Amino acid sequence: MTGYYSPTSIAEALKLLHTDPGQGLLMGGGTDLLPDLRKGKKAPRFIVDLTRIPELQTIQVGEQWVEIGAAVTFGALKNHPNLQQRVPALAEAARSVGAEGIQNAATWVGNLVQAMPAADGAILALALEAQVQVVSLEETTWIDVENIFLAPGKSALDPSCQVVARLRFPLPAVPWGAAWQRVGRRTALTLPVINCAVKVEMAEQRIQRAVIALGPVAPRPFRARQAEQHLAGQLPTLEVLQQAARLAQSASQPRDNVLRASRQYRLQLIPTLVYRALNRAIQQAQSPEREEQAQINPNPSLLPRR
Amino acid sequence: MPVEFSLNHQSVTSTSPPLTPLLDVLRNEFQLTGVKQGCDHEGECGACTVLLDGKPVRSCLTPLGSVAGRQVLTIEGLGSPDNLHLLQAAFIETGAVQCGFCTPGMLLAAKALLDRTPNPQRAEIVEALEGNLCRCTGYSRIIQAVQLASYRMRHGIDDQSPVENPPPPAGEPASHSPLGGSALREDALAKVTGQALYAEDIHLPGMLHMKTLRSPQHHARLLSLDTAAAQAMPGVVRVFTSADIPGVNGFPIYSLDEPLLTAPGNTLRMLGAPIALVVAESPEQAQAALEAIRLELEILPHTFDMDEALKPGAYPIAGENNLLSEFRIKHGNLQAALAESQAIIETCYETSFLEHTALEREALVGCIDEAGRITVTGGSHQPHNQQRYIAEALNIPLEQVRVITPPTGGSFGGKQDPWTFVAVGLAVYWLRQPVRLVFTRRESFDASPKRHPYRVKTRLGVTGDGRLTGVQVRIDSNTGGYDSSGRHIPNYALTAAGGAYRWQAVDGLARSILTNGPKAGQYRGFGTAQSTFALECTLDETIQHLGLDAVEFRLRNCLRDGETSFLGYPLVDSLGYAEVLETIAPHHRRFQEEVEAFNRQAAVQGSSLRRGVGLAGMWYRFGKAGSLKIEAHSELSLDGSFVMYCSAPDYGQGTTTAMSQIAAQELGVSRQRVEIVNADTGRTPNSDIQGASRAIFFVGGAVRQAAHNLVQAILGVAAEMLDSPAAELHLDDRQGVICDALGRSVSLLEVAQEFERLGKSRRMVGFFDVTHALPTHPKPEYLPLFVTGAQLAEAQVDLHTGEARVLRAVAVHDIGKIVNPLDAAGQVEGAFVMGLGAALMEEYLPGASSEISNYLLPTAGCSPPIEVYFVEVHSRLHPYGVKGLGEAAMLPSTPAIINAVSRAIGGRLRAIPATPERILAAAALAGRQPEWNGAVQR
Repeated sequence: MTGYYSPTSIAEALKLLHTDPGQGLLMGGGTDLLPDLRKGKKAPRFIVDLTRIPELQTIQVGEQWVEIGAAVTFGALKNHPNLQQRVPALAEAARSVGAEGIQNAATWVGNLVQAMPAADGAILALALEAQVQVVSLEETTWIDVENIFLAPGKSALDPSCQVVARLRFPLPAVPWGAAWQRVGRRTALTLPVINCAVKVEMAEQRIQRAVIALGPVAPRPFRARQAEQHLAGQLPTLEVLQQAARLAQSASQPRDNVLRASRQYRLQLIPTLVYRALNRAIQQAQSPEREEQAQINPNPSLLPRR
Repeated sequence: MPVEFSLNHQSVTSTSPPLTPLLDVLRNEFQLTGVKQGCDHEGECGACTVLLDGKPVRSCLTPLGSVAGRQVLTIEGLGSPDNLHLLQAAFIETGAVQCGFCTPGMLLAAKALLDRTPNPQRAEIVEALEGNLCRCTGYSRIIQAVQLASYRMRHGIDDQSPVENPPPPAGEPASHSPLGGSALREDALAKVTGQALYAEDIHLPGMLHMKTLRSPQHHARLLSLDTAAAQAMPGVVRVFTSADIPGVNGFPIYSLDEPLLTAPGNTLRMLGAPIALVVAESPEQAQAALEAIRLELEILPHTFDMDEALKPGAYPIAGENNLLSEFRIKHGNLQAALAESQAIIETCYETSFLEHTALEREALVGCIDEAGRITVTGGSHQPHNQQRYIAEALNIPLEQVRVITPPTGGSFGGKQDPWTFVAVGLAVYWLRQPVRLVFTRRESFDASPKRHPYRVKTRLGVTGDGRLTGVQVRIDSNTGGYDSSGRHIPNYALTAAGGAYRWQAVDGLARSILTNGPKAGQYRGFGTAQSTFALECTLDETIQHLGLDAVEFRLRNCLRDGETSFLGYPLVDSLGYAEVLETIAPHHRRFQEEVEAFNRQAAVQGSSLRRGVGLAGMWYRFGKAGSLKIEAHSELSLDGSFVMYCSAPDYGQGTTTAMSQIAAQELGVSRQRVEIVNADTGRTPNSDIQGASRAIFFVGGAVRQAAHNLVQAILGVAAEMLDSPAAELHLDDRQGVICDALGRSVSLLEVAQEFERLGKSRRMVGFFDVTHALPTHPKPEYLPLFVTGAQLAEAQVDLHTGEARVLRAVAVHDIGKIVNPLDAAGQVEGAFVMGLGAALMEEYLPGASSEISNYLLPTAGCSPPIEVYFVEVHSRLHPYGVKGLGEAAMLPSTPAIINAVSRAIGGRLRAIPATPERILAAAALAGRQPEWNGAVQR
């Protein structure tokens, strides 16, 4: 019978993990873990539930960083008024995970640790240049999210002895925006055909730097670096954005999935989504109070905002 | 370690292991069966939704340990029958409860929404409910119910009892008045409070659990089978193979050559073909034993492809060279007709396998009842047929078998399959103990019947002024590995292939072809939806080609009452198609104008969105091949109330309610005074199959007659008691008495007692017989009764991603006299969304599709506002003038949507589902996409 513990501190969690090294697994919302256990994909001797640890349940929106505890659910993220305003892309990405009932249990950190190439949380975290704080008995370090993903379903973290305590991403000091685009075969309860997240930082009229994340176009959540470099220092004209979108497309290597989409269709979508995401992120950077994008840049695949 | 938490405001302790899903703890440990299981603990359907600290969660994915010290609310904690929550009352009033299986989850999700957002926008309601799947209602009425409850909450209206005839939603005409005075569902109260007991909720002492060993291959020969190791496993009571079947191994009338359990030496023709049954003390033990059964299989070549299966030299699956059946229709001179045509349109349309995906999986309980009968309780379309199949398989008399129909969570044809009933009957026959069988959702996907994929080649001729001349249709349907009544499909396919139109010549051939795909069988529409799709889309292509109007064209060609149809015999009843088309015409014009304006604007702005309007009509032969003479019974109870006995199984479409209304109407009493006993072979007569939308017409006709006969008998006895002429008596429902012209009265209770004293039976039989209406020369195979309808869809497509949405719809149907306006509209709305699923997202891929996460059903977010209108062109054959609806309602939906999407992109989709990928490809082919980058950036 698989053991179950719900500690109330990180230290306690680590101690539990080390009572039987390598045999325990951490659990957040459990929405991925429980089906894996049931199917026998994972068979730990015991589970350590992180959701009762108070310091993992907080959301802190500071001047330079947003810090989110590992037990914070997508539901909490999408309903946080400050985040809705400062980083609307986060609420949009949170909304596209499953549906309400899943969002009230699933966590952003859990989504990352699963390391799936199109995980909504992973794509967004990559674009926001997030980092995760990894706590083990020996040390506590911050790791760039980009370095977590090794292969589909495989992260560089060892959940039998490392606790990801929180995630943080920077709030740029300059005008900036982030946007989220997704195409799926349905609006909810669907895995993405392509998802795309973009961050841009502006300096006067120019794009100072951009981050473009895409999935599933590679074995890991993917950054289109060539496209990013193309944008650096440029005025956001049609041609510049178009070229960046094309560069993102040529760097992508999506695969055929008989149940979701073909490689060809995914390739076709990429420039459209990247272009739209860039457009929205730039609009956001240039006019932070703006809301309605629908007329200029319609995207019916998103739920309407409140 | 025990886990303490608050359950429905009470502190409780659970001793289940902490990783046990909360769903199982609630259902098994606390016996709260209101929370439902719809999938395999994967969080895919929302039926298991409960509130955790006020927020909706999937209880199937919530480990018990995580709820320690927290608050759990289930449907049982929301309200009770005499203390309903506003939401529960609203759900009943708007007709938001059909099969009821999704209802508890929906109610709780809605409660959580209203608690945090008392005045939600429609989009917020949709977002809150989008994770809860419903297959019956199409979500419209559920959304309306939430709006109604919100309104009442904000205005302090504390009305807890459902109100008849709430104000109609905006845009809909005032309600037709329901027969029997009330349209509220009989069973809605039990469903909104979580008290309705579906088969999986029934617990019998000593109940055992059955699991099925199924073929892991698409095509194989079963060489040998060794069950010894399985028999020896812990908790295993018995393992059954084909050798244990005393009578017929199968149900040949229903499905040719389909065994209950395949015998060694024979072939397994599809993935999931059944081999053995294991009965054990727990489902886990049965499952473990399955894995211990040793199989020797010879793997054979397999194909899912019809052309492959028919090739000369193809590996034989069954039938005549893998052809199961064919049907032909030929009238007139096609060559001559086509020669007269200005244009000849040729198309090829294709559809995919579809899965019913009722929210309730297949679930049955068998036992020996107090009369010693093998009794099987489970949802189906025809308990008397199931009774017969069980008796034949067990080689016992019919009287020793009883089949009861419990509240059922949807069927759509899937639960017509006899296999589950015979399997449970077999186990009870041998073990004489209660046995439960519940399919996993995976099993339902692998092994339950599917909708036939069609390939329809049409060649039609039309004159320059838009008159149809002749049509040639060639239909190939993929019936999968077993018959499952697929041999009848060609007849149905061709019946719909010509529609309610006038043709000079018709040449049709339809074939049912065996492959190693999943067995295709009964599915809403039974083969008519696919050929209607091909016809109505081909007509749209014709209309576009000629530059004509979609409604005008159909009116010019539509059949009128009394005409002879392309099937070769005259219409025996009113058709109503012209009335339907005339009613939808103004809506069609309105949609077109608005869409044209939008598209002009979108082009100017450089938007990639385009809209299109699609129209489709249909005709549907209802009533099917069942008996033309149907029986029902009525009874005056000793306490003066009434009971009706009939067999019209209710799996969510509302037949029980309809019978209650008809009985109340005819008896002249309120529905509270009438009890309906439905679909129990031990108590009700055989009213033949509930399928082909025949219940209201046939069974309703018999119920009416039985009620009428009872009234006559009662008045006769009362007349004697009062010494007054029967013609001068009337029934006062409020007092429960029969009065004469002089004001003297006698109570129904007294009348009942008088029946007893006289030795007269208080139970009457009523027949409804339309045998005389069947044409004799020529004599068709089925009674030619038809309903017609038309639907409009407005679709919006993003020409750069291919994503499509249906923004709104209008449906117009002729169903004769409406019995229940709420339910009729609810059926149309649900059918539209089911048709939307087929049009845009549903696709069962053999060998790949396995669960709800990879078989996409429409969610609340896919469901558009739908306006529903009925034209009541009464049936001449029926005393009330009713016709039929349930299946027919879905026929125009898919073609209307595909026509809309096609017009939006300026191209054509000819295969469904029209996924975004396929739409994008068609749009690219049509060459009308704007510059991919959208608007110009400054």
